[in-house]
Amino acid sequence: MPVLRLPKFGKPVKYAYITGRVRAMKTKLIPNEMYGRMLGMDISDIARYLEETQYKEEIDLLAKDYSGAELIEHATFANLAKTYRKLLDVSIDEPQFLMLEYLRRWDVWNIKTVLRGKFYGASDAEIMKYVVPAGELGTEFLEGVAKKDSVNEVISAFDGTDFAEALAKYDGKSLASVENALDKLYYFRMERAVGGTLSVGGGLLLKYVKREIDVKNLVTLFRMNKAGIEAALIQENLIEGGKLSEDLNRMAGQPYADFVRSLEGYPFWSAISDIATSSDEDGVSRIESRLKAYLVRYAWALSNYHPLSILPVLGYIVSKETEVSNIRKVVRGKEAGLSNELIEEQMVVA
Amino acid sequence: MAVIRGTKPTRAVLIALRRRIKVAQSGHSLLKMKRDGLMIEFFEVLNRARTIRQELVQDFLKSEQRLNMAMAVEGSVAIKSVAFALQKEPSVDLSSRNIMGVVVPKISAEAVHKKMYERGYGIIGTSAAVDEAADAYESLVDKIITAAEVETSLIKLVDDIEKTKRRVNGLEFKVIPDIKDTIRFIGFALEEMDRDNVVRLKKLKSKAVKRAKAEEAAKAAEAAAAQA
Repeated sequence: MPVLRLPKFGKPVKYAYITGRVRAMKTKLIPNEMYGRMLGMDISDIARYLEETQYKEEIDLLAKDYSGAELIEHATFANLAKTYRKLLDVSIDEPQFLMLEYLRRWDVWNIKTVLRGKFYGASDAEIMKYVVPAGELGTEFLEGVAKKDSVNEVISAFDGTDFAEALAKYDGKSLASVENALDKLYYFRMERAVGGTLSVGGGLLLKYVKREIDVKNLVTLFRMNKAGIEAALIQENLIEGGKLSEDLNRMAGQPYADFVRSLEGYPFWSAISDIATSSDEDGVSRIESRLKAYLVRYAWALSNYHPLSILPVLGYIVSKETEVSNIRKVVRGKEAGLSNELIEEQMVVA
Repeated sequence: MAVIRGTKPTRAVLIALRRRIKVAQSGHSLLKMKRDGLMIEFFEVLNRARTIRQELVQDFLKSEQRLNMAMAVEGSVAIKSVAFALQKEPSVDLSSRNIMGVVVPKISAEAVHKKMYERGYGIIGTSAAVDEAADAYESLVDKIITAAEVETSLIKLVDDIEKTKRRVNGLEFKVIPDIKDTIRFIGFALEEMDRDNVVRLKKLKSKAVKRAKAEEAAKAAEAAAAQA
């Protein structure tokens, strides 16, 4: 892993302004009871309803390029990116730094999308449709990178950045190793950045990051153990730094039934026990949804601990992402003709 | 009676037709056996095609549902991005095999069903819904390839059964009866010619006898006149 150049912030760190802004922004989130009503609407009604909310500008802007569920999905992603950038713009010092580190997941997403697009041979315009500039890398920079002719040129554009070492893993045949290295780098940075903060709430945020790593690793174990992949290969795909890293490393390569049995007693077990012990064919994706919901609820619970800390900001960021995800699940689910029960099962509502 | 047009009623033609009818009859029985064999093969392939078609429809619905679920959970933006990472497109190899003289295709595909780490996308940044959708579509492509092989075989078999049936019917109801009729016709014609010849000979003979008798009578008259 690279040597990171992370800034140090002294005490006291002022969180009053950003948490005040976040509280105000939180009022604009879609109320929970609306999701139930959305399930009864058709897609055009949902779009009409969203035009009365903060998504109006993006829906109006993108209506010329997209329609139906596609329009809502792109508009909500665009609004998500705008909201996160606004949060970064109105914050300074430690809150801005921590938020930026958290939102780098979108940089990783965008780098992966550009690499995949170049690998496939897609045009820069096509690639830019699937980019969500919600992190540090802005639209202009990403457009410039997407215009490069090859994967190697895209990789060269990141020379001198912290991403360079992960991108150097590209072997010319597959992007899998680069993608995994980028994801691992993200969590490595996040853990180091949060671990270096002295302000109140930092410890709980670190706990959240570790739990997120555990959930990611757990999902990887569910996917790969079920596919019967050998332990060494699974361990290569696990992220270091989680609270349960050692335990989860040991579970790699176990027969699926033994693996599921060994999870009993962990804090997340009650959230997944019914699906994990059933013989459902699509069980792993349902377990993943439950674990993601578990993580979101954990973030919401943490956000109330210290009102003047990074935690309410984290709570808002997670809530906003959950809102976008819930809207997408409703419209995509309705478009595909999925039952309301199935859509509701996938949604995360407080 | 349908006689082959332009047939000359000669003994040589009769012999040639008798040879031809033997060939036609043995061809007819061989083609009948081929038709029956193809029918048995056809019903076997039909059963397989029916099963595969049902499985194909089920697999398609399952794949659609899984993709829809992945689109709902991850979003089309994420799914499209992952789809860009496709490492190796499947290649299809086409050869042929022979079922009772009918050449049917044999289709085999490579790199359709991949392990999750061979698909080209990173495991950490993707979800189980993506795996499940990819897995379902890989199975669907496999099934489509099998269905293409079986259904093309079925079409070729039907085509050949139809052709063989037409040939069998042609031989049974047209060629063989026509040859038989022609043989009968030539037989009648030759008998008629034989009878004509007998009559002609008899006439010639009676004419010759009459002429001999007249000559004898003339000679006798001449002799009587000379004596007188």
